[in-house]
Amino acid sequence: MYLDPDKRVDLATAASYVHDGHMIALGGGLSARLPMAMVRELIRQGRRDLHVVGSAHSMDVDLLIAAGALAICEESYVGFEQDLGLAPAYRRAAETGTITVKESCCVTILTQLRAAEMGLPFLPVRGIKGTDMRRLHPEYAETTCPFTGEVLVAVPPLKPDVAIIHAPVGDAFGNLFMEQPYVLDEHFAGASNSVIATVEKIVPTEELHDRGVVIPGYFVQAIAEVPFGAHPASCYPSYSYDRAHMSTYVQAAAKPESADGYVADWVNVPGGEDEYRNKVGAESLTRLTQWSESIDQWKGLFS
Amino acid sequence: MSSYTFDEWYVIRLARTISDREVVFHGFASPCAQVAMHVAKRTHAPNMMLIEGAMYAINPDPPFIPPTSNDSSLKRGAAYSMRFEEFFDAAIRGDVDRMFVSGGQIDMYGNTNVTAVGPLERPKVKLGGGGGGCNISATIKQLTLWTTRHRSGRTIVAECDFITDIGHRTPAGTREELDYTGGGPQCLVSELGVFDYDSQGRMRLQELWPDVTVEQVREATGFEFAVADEVIPVAPPTQAELDVLRAIDPLGVRRGEFDPREMEREFDLVGAGV
Repeated sequence: MYLDPDKRVDLATAASYVHDGHMIALGGGLSARLPMAMVRELIRQGRRDLHVVGSAHSMDVDLLIAAGALAICEESYVGFEQDLGLAPAYRRAAETGTITVKESCCVTILTQLRAAEMGLPFLPVRGIKGTDMRRLHPEYAETTCPFTGEVLVAVPPLKPDVAIIHAPVGDAFGNLFMEQPYVLDEHFAGASNSVIATVEKIVPTEELHDRGVVIPGYFVQAIAEVPFGAHPASCYPSYSYDRAHMSTYVQAAAKPESADGYVADWVNVPGGEDEYRNKVGAESLTRLTQWSESIDQWKGLFS
Repeated sequence: MSSYTFDEWYVIRLARTISDREVVFHGFASPCAQVAMHVAKRTHAPNMMLIEGAMYAINPDPPFIPPTSNDSSLKRGAAYSMRFEEFFDAAIRGDVDRMFVSGGQIDMYGNTNVTAVGPLERPKVKLGGGGGGCNISATIKQLTLWTTRHRSGRTIVAECDFITDIGHRTPAGTREELDYTGGGPQCLVSELGVFDYDSQGRMRLQELWPDVTVEQVREATGFEFAVADEVIPVAPPTQAELDVLRAIDPLGVRRGEFDPREMEREFDLVGAGV
């Protein structure tokens, strides 16, 4: 438990809690609430050999791979859905063997996090039998139910070193409010050794209580205020996702040279996140925040 | 005379695999299934419980379908938003009636591969991954399998290179032998035809689109499949179904699932019961 009443730090300090070789869990999912500013900062700080676990993700994982920061990927899906397609850097790294793919299933990951949350040495899942998933997971075993005799696949606890979570608002203690879907974030917080959080805005605790606490601050080791910290993913209610930027990334990531170019142009910039936001441009960012003005405005962000 | 395109008819056929009062779920990255569920809810299955794929929102009324399945527009008007674990717990304990499943490869028993084509250590194509399908395909009561890529010849194959989601039987055994409580694939809807599964769990041709021949289906399929005694044409859509579909998917995200040549298939709306 992290009981320091004031855990506010800057982004670079928060990122320093993640070490080379750590198992990390990234919050959010698909195109929503991805901790992109922290992902960029980890790349700037040259982090290596990370092992990422989670459910269905996209640019956060792909960018870590493009920048050479990832060694093991244990997600249930990495991609840009039907819209922008397969994840280019993930695909290339998996096909050339430069990362270890331990693809998993949302239910298995959830069960493993629950085992860690409960301090148990394993939990059973009903599925997996008959599929090829165990070829990717020699650590799974079988267990026989002492009551019914049913043979089930047993999975070990998953205890990430650090969970990295982005939320719209938080307070100095690290309490976090977010909108649904929370995806696995609550379980990441309970199962991990620590949480480092980034938020759009740090607010007084009374104001946060009015919104509701989703992740309690006692799980959180450090909190940093980073506006547009999920960009180009969405962070509702603050902003929608930046489909045009994601598309730019996917095109760049298709080739190693242009992927390097993206990392050089958008991530490894001397001015860090300030420079990143300036480069994206105030006009583009403001447009993403105006999704709620009308249905046409909202729809227009996706056409 | 009004006309409609193949993507519209295909989604409406998918919608018709849903019965009223079913609890139905689609995975992410599958706009055809997603749009089909909203069409069913607004036409023949008003009392279904629609669970949005990555939002876990129940019976939402989205103003449009966005190109990503984790967007707040998809929970607008929802009766409830399930937590991630509330949905997956319901699915593994058997409270979900139907799920839509697709794959880069689908074999004759309805096993699907969304993990990797080619050798696992050095895949020819690393696919995105299966989300939660590996576990919940074992326990959800019925699966509607679907693909828009049958014609490629690479999708409906004798054996999957990797089994991510389980069909009726795998080399490890049948569903019964594996203690699986779900019923497995009920049907497969492809852009060439509609199939069911026989008592041995093998794919069998039931319906054909009017511009496709059995021979064309054979050419595109990696194994000999059974053919029903009477193969019937797919029933045409109604004007009401087309209206609902066009209203719910104004951005046309469903079209992203199709090879461009499928989009040239156009049909006239004649004598349809409106």
